[in-house]
Amino acid sequence: MSTQRQATSASQTPHISPAELSYLYTSLSLPQNPIRPDGRSATQFRPLTAETDLLPGTNGSARVGFADGTQAIVGVKAEVERTVVGAAASYTLAEADGAGDLAGEGGEGSGSAAGGGAGAGAGAGAATAGHGSWVQMSIEIPGFRDDDALPVFLAEMMREPLVESVSSGSKGASGDGEKEMEGGLKGRLVINRRWHWRLYIDVLLLSQPLSYPLPLLSLTTHLALLATKLPKLKSKGEEDPFFDDDWNAAEYLYPRASSSFPKFGGSAAGGVPPPVQHVRPPVTLLVIAVGDNVIFDPNREEIAVADTVLAISVTRDGGSEGGLKLLSIRTIDPPSRLTQPGVPNSENVATLGATAGAGGSEEQQPAAATAVLNPVTGEEEVPGVWRPRRGGVKRRTVAKMVKLVLEKGGVGEEVLEGLESVEVG
Amino acid sequence: MPLDTSTTYPLTKLRLDGRRWNELRLLQAQISTNPASSGSSYLAMGNTAIICSVHGPAEGRRGDASGGSAGSSGAVVEVDVNVAGFAGVDRKRRAGGSDKQSSRIGTILRSAFQSHLHTYLYPHSTISIHVSVLSADGSLLAAAVNACTLALVDAGIPMPGLLCACTAGMSGSASTPRDPTNDFLDPLLDLSLPEEQELPFLTVGTTTTVPVGEAAMIHDDEDEMKVSMLTMDSKVHCSYVETMLAVGIDGCKQIREILEGVIKKSARR
Repeated sequence: MSTQRQATSASQTPHISPAELSYLYTSLSLPQNPIRPDGRSATQFRPLTAETDLLPGTNGSARVGFADGTQAIVGVKAEVERTVVGAAASYTLAEADGAGDLAGEGGEGSGSAAGGGAGAGAGAGAATAGHGSWVQMSIEIPGFRDDDALPVFLAEMMREPLVESVSSGSKGASGDGEKEMEGGLKGRLVINRRWHWRLYIDVLLLSQPLSYPLPLLSLTTHLALLATKLPKLKSKGEEDPFFDDDWNAAEYLYPRASSSFPKFGGSAAGGVPPPVQHVRPPVTLLVIAVGDNVIFDPNREEIAVADTVLAISVTRDGGSEGGLKLLSIRTIDPPSRLTQPGVPNSENVATLGATAGAGGSEEQQPAAATAVLNPVTGEEEVPGVWRPRRGGVKRRTVAKMVKLVLEKGGVGEEVLEGLESVEVG
Repeated sequence: MPLDTSTTYPLTKLRLDGRRWNELRLLQAQISTNPASSGSSYLAMGNTAIICSVHGPAEGRRGDASGGSAGSSGAVVEVDVNVAGFAGVDRKRRAGGSDKQSSRIGTILRSAFQSHLHTYLYPHSTISIHVSVLSADGSLLAAAVNACTLALVDAGIPMPGLLCACTAGMSGSASTPRDPTNDFLDPLLDLSLPEEQELPFLTVGTTTTVPVGEAAMIHDDEDEMKVSMLTMDSKVHCSYVETMLAVGIDGCKQIREILEGVIKKSARR
């Protein structure tokens, strides 16, 4: 358990022998068409079931279950909070956090006094821009503590693209709903100069992670945010906010393109395609490279032999006619470097006599096929013998991975379309 | 007029959510919800929703203090309770990992099931139960017990009977001795969160021994309920405890029928 907790790399390495790793690597790195253990194609995702709005006590919620049984539930809760005027402009992030907490706990009287005193005369213009710390994300994984490395790293990896996604060119585009999304999610959380929404995103993984849980958590969070509604604001301008009691009048956090049209019972007809949303929460995809192949949604065994593991966050903002936008790329420590290397027969003391006795002609053959794996150490690749992958990734590989995600009709678009078809609301 | 059960109940004989004194909330349950675990269940009592999954019986962790000597006679039950941040009305922030309430529920569940299950069949092994509270609206412990029972049945772990739990309270503070001539307090069944906060209540868990062998032929329809778990955190005069207990046991009987229905329905599929 303690070693599992310390594992900060992609996931704890499964117990696979060097021979199996080598076999897996060879079949995954076959030129053009990799052969995956579960028979999927390189860009195919595992089948999943999804539902939204299952928890009545939250502003938005979703559940996604993969076919292997791993499930995640995400609940989004929003609270109104007093904005500390000027904090965003003049303080560092940490100080602003502390001041925000103080104001929240102190309530009306003391909180406003503290906030007002701290921010008196500071630049108030920043208050309309929103602040990244208004979105809080926590991930609960069974067997891990809240402050273990894996949940904290995952939460930050998913929060970062969420708050940094700023829809750039939405002003000129069609539809009045999009104007609300000016300034991205941060801008949407602003109520007025003194009040804002604070968003709590709680992710619950219901079973031990069988593979690196990032894709599952990201898809679930995406769906939950799509389903999230905020009560309709009745007050105007700089008044203290009060809201419409009618939950049916509540507005989606990510506005729908069809919100200007009358809505009939959540698109009751099954045949009607759901509306295409122009602004979407980000989706983080896990992509690995094995040899020259790029493979999506890897399972645990596939990650174990990967040369490179990347988490690529994309979103669709209203800007360029439904085009995708790259938000962030993070490299994840591939667990293959921790695996046990195989020992080639030529170096194995136990089999040294056997290979020598088999004849000199066979010894020539592997020597001809060797490729230098690591030019620095002069390590040589022997076919069928596993060597942990160490060292960097080629620019060409990263470019290929990003291109496969972003291109029109590519994987990113396919995923977003698939998620769109999940009945929301 | 303040809206709470202690003021509205004497006037209307209806509780805050419109139930009468002896009515349960809507209880819905499913088993085998999570194929990745040995057994799993989802249970909703009113607005309280709980997901439970069971792993094991499996080999205990090496180097664990309880695994060596204590586990040699039978399986060790481990319970991990997690109340989700979005479970309550307000989003609750927690420091560290677990709070007082969830660790308390975990301890009670562990001791209840450790003695309830036939653990002697699985020496040197661990049965780990993971409870996630998705939505908390009263009777949390009772709902957790029922969810665990279903998940353990799904995992196929032998037990003498279903362990079912229910809460029972009084419709007033009940701090003075009961007056038989002027008895205006009614017992209440299956309390919701606002009722739990204002009224005294207890949680009772009962089990029935399923008759086997000759006993099954002789006593065919005798329903023998045994109280195997009883906790009470609030204060009440001792003269009321008997009434509350009787109502609670009656509630457990109703819950047992519902849970049996759920198990039989899933077995038919």
